[in-house]
Amino acid sequence: MITWDPEVLARIRRLALVARHEVEGVLVGLHRSRSLGPAVDFVDYKEYCPGDPLRDVDWRVAARSDRLVVRRYRAESVLPCWLALDASGDMSTGVSSPGPEGERPPLDGSKMGYSLCLTATLAWYLSLQGEPVGLFLMGGEGAPWRVLPPRSGRRHLSRILATLASVKAGGRAELGSSLSSLASRLRRRSMVALVSDLMEEPDSWAPALERLGRQRGDLRVLHVLDTGELDLSFPRVARFVSPEGGPAVPLDPAALREDFRDVVRAWRAELQQLVRSWRGLYLPAPTDAPLAAPLLRLVSARHLSARAG
Amino acid sequence: MGFGFLAGGALVLGVLVLGPILAHLARRTPTERQPFGAMLLVQRLLRRTRRRRRLRDQLILLLRAGAVLLVVLAVARPELRLPDASLRVGSSGRLVVVLDNSLSMSLRQGSPGAPVGASLLSRAREQALALVDELPEGVALGAVVTAGSGGQVVALSPVLTEDHELVSAGIQAVEPSFQATDLAGALRAARALLAGGPGEVVVFSDEAGEGPVRAAATELERLVAAGCRVVPRTLRSEQPSNLVVRAAEYGDGVEGGSIRVRLAGFGPDPVEAAVTVTLPDDGHMTAFVMVPPCIDALAEQPGDVLPADCSEAEVLFTVPPEVPGGVASVEVDDGVLAADDVFWFHLPRVGASRVLVVDGDPGPTPIRSEIYFLERALAPWGSLGSGIKPDITAPAGIHELDPERHRVVFLANVADPRPLADALSAFVRGGGGLVITAGENLTPERYNAALSQLLPAPLRRVRNLVDLDAEGGVPVVMPRVDDPSGLYAPFVRRGMPAFSEVHARRLLTFEPFEDSDEVHTLLALQNGLPFLVDRQVGPGRVVVLAGTADLAWGNLPLQSAFLPLVQRLVTWLGAGSGGSVARFSGVVGQALDIPLPAVGIEPLVADPEGRELLAEYKPGRVSFTPRLPGPYTLALPGAPPLAWVAVNTPPEESDVNRYADLAAVEAELDPQLLQRRVGLGAGALALALLLLLGQALIARTQAAS
Repeated sequence: MITWDPEVLARIRRLALVARHEVEGVLVGLHRSRSLGPAVDFVDYKEYCPGDPLRDVDWRVAARSDRLVVRRYRAESVLPCWLALDASGDMSTGVSSPGPEGERPPLDGSKMGYSLCLTATLAWYLSLQGEPVGLFLMGGEGAPWRVLPPRSGRRHLSRILATLASVKAGGRAELGSSLSSLASRLRRRSMVALVSDLMEEPDSWAPALERLGRQRGDLRVLHVLDTGELDLSFPRVARFVSPEGGPAVPLDPAALREDFRDVVRAWRAELQQLVRSWRGLYLPAPTDAPLAAPLLRLVSARHLSARAG
Repeated sequence: MGFGFLAGGALVLGVLVLGPILAHLARRTPTERQPFGAMLLVQRLLRRTRRRRRLRDQLILLLRAGAVLLVVLAVARPELRLPDASLRVGSSGRLVVVLDNSLSMSLRQGSPGAPVGASLLSRAREQALALVDELPEGVALGAVVTAGSGGQVVALSPVLTEDHELVSAGIQAVEPSFQATDLAGALRAARALLAGGPGEVVVFSDEAGEGPVRAAATELERLVAAGCRVVPRTLRSEQPSNLVVRAAEYGDGVEGGSIRVRLAGFGPDPVEAAVTVTLPDDGHMTAFVMVPPCIDALAEQPGDVLPADCSEAEVLFTVPPEVPGGVASVEVDDGVLAADDVFWFHLPRVGASRVLVVDGDPGPTPIRSEIYFLERALAPWGSLGSGIKPDITAPAGIHELDPERHRVVFLANVADPRPLADALSAFVRGGGGLVITAGENLTPERYNAALSQLLPAPLRRVRNLVDLDAEGGVPVVMPRVDDPSGLYAPFVRRGMPAFSEVHARRLLTFEPFEDSDEVHTLLALQNGLPFLVDRQVGPGRVVVLAGTADLAWGNLPLQSAFLPLVQRLVTWLGAGSGGSVARFSGVVGQALDIPLPAVGIEPLVADPEGRELLAEYKPGRVSFTPRLPGPYTLALPGAPPLAWVAVNTPPEESDVNRYADLAAVEAELDPQLLQRRVGLGAGALALALLLLLGQALIARTQAAS
């Protein structure tokens, strides 16, 4: 159940605003809109055969060429979309605007806030496209629903936004088991958009990607990156500790910065290769970049994918 | 080499080294807690940089701690104390130069047969002169040599003088000597020059031989106690070696024998050397011998090894049939140290018969003649020339007794020895041997009266042991194999049974006596009566055979034991025989005190070059100190020599190896005297700065990476 407190309501409104604003920006970029788009896509012509519906006869062609041809269309199917959001404790951090522990993250700057906005925008866009949208939370606390199966409609979108507005970062994402669980829910070909910082050993969740592929999951990985965090831009020597627990490690950021960058580069390359190996799309989503950038890339890629399919 | 601190108390500041360590540890545990969402990457980073970071951390810690310790060390003012015998001298203003001019300093660089370069003394002299030249004006200077002309240590200047040219002239005039190193005496003289006060004593010496340095330890201690510093300037041949004749002696064989020469080589390698014996008549004999290295034996037993432990080479020279007596020499030429190449030794007259037989009863037939049997025993092959052909004379011819020539006299059945008593007594007391054989002519009373000072015991009477016409007689008791006299040495292996057949029928008996240190019963009959008795008389011996040397009283001349017994008697009795001329031996530099044959005479002492030597006369004695090796003579003007003295160089000087170190002895007395101090404080500080710089560079590199 949704807790109707003013903060949640405000966050819902803010999320809706951000999502609508971003989606409009994206649609302008694509020069297309839901209202103008056809329901079906034209493919080619064929000679008329008795029995073909007459409304499909292209009379203009018949008038010019004195022969009857029938328009053929590809039927556009509905593609369920799962938005898998990593709400683990690690997502609450970030150098740009770290959120207070145990509190709902601010919706701008922090990894969690950025992820919430990104997920809400995706949900808005997909819902606007008439696609059924589902939400799958990995980790996190305080959300009224952890799983919202893909559905269409404004009411369902509101439910998704309310869930996103309520969730607080916490616990562990357990990417391996969570994605496996999500894969088991896929009944037909679906798009899975994973929004996460991927701070778990790839070896632990790589098998889940394989299962997603087997279940005809069309994987889009939106890798949320905090540039300051990955640059180790901390001013002082400190004991670094994960919000998800584990031992504190004393580090001298200045002394280790270069080595850390190398590690980050290697890690990102590893992730990119892993995702691609399962025919997924790896989309870096830096928290200091506009939301539209990863969204535009994802939407473009979706259209290309849809045309190819 | 030593190490110390001038401000050792500052070392307590060493606890400051805890500073960087604690800082290091503190740096490892920051207090600030930073939530971080990319710990996965941190773990990867740590895995990647763990080894490098650990090494760098430890290196930085080490450098910082080392820098702190070095700073503390610098504050404590450390210093290194190095042994240094080449310290600058003259700073005290009073200095004595000790120049070793002993025999071993005549050693030249090179090996036997291939000498090169100047002698050690020449080099020492040059160095000493250079030292004197470099001394600043005003330094009171003295000089001492270890061996002066009179065998005594002498100071070249009576007192310390600032006239350096005078001292230089004295050093320039120092000549090599044949004497031993008296380092103790030289240091004593130096102390006397310094009047017991502080100063410096610079010793130019090869420090060769085992004794000199150790003998000087006491004087060294006194000098050190007086505030003096002894600075050794050791001169060494690169590979010292020397050949020397250690001993030469004329053998005591019946046949006149040979000269046995022993040689030693004080060097690292065996050397083949030509050894030449020069006889008193200037005859020469040369042989080649391989001399083993003595240094090997010394190297195996460093420390208290005496040169006597060295391996020696031995060579025998057969003496010609006739050689006049005198002082002979053996020479081995090594070229590197000529001063000890010649060894002088006494040679008795060789070639003339050494046995005089006084025949008291010329027998009508061989078996009734003692001479017949004695001649056959002494020269079994007769005209072949081997063995000893005795001079035979009647009692009236006793004047033929020549102590220079004869070594043993047989008195065979002489009736009345009284006319011979004086000559025989002098002969025996001069080291000769006298054998008295019994017979029917012998009268105990006359013998007791004339030769009581020589006889082992008073003679009693002649008595029959059995019937003279009967066969056999009283057999002798087999002599003991281990008879201490050594007379029976030739019989030890198989000859003893030869005595089992000896028996006597008639015997000269003695008044009862007990064997003593002086009187020994060499052979006795089974009835207990002595058969052969010996008495030591001074350097000579008297042996009385209670039987006859013919077959009248027994069968001894016919037994196989007779011939070797007689020959052994001659060897045994004649071994130590000298002659009318007294023979003495001496060493260069050591005072000789020679007894004279009569009180009141003052024979002249002539050195090997024939020059008269200054001697000190006391009643019945003459004393002098030889300066040169060689034959010395003592003679009254216009008369034959009274005595010969064979003088040789000090044997210890021939060992040119070094066994003790003057600097080491002095260092034991006062370790700081011969030390050079090197301050390490500045170095430690510089090193600390370097370490700090190094750690800063590493830390910076680490931060940059």
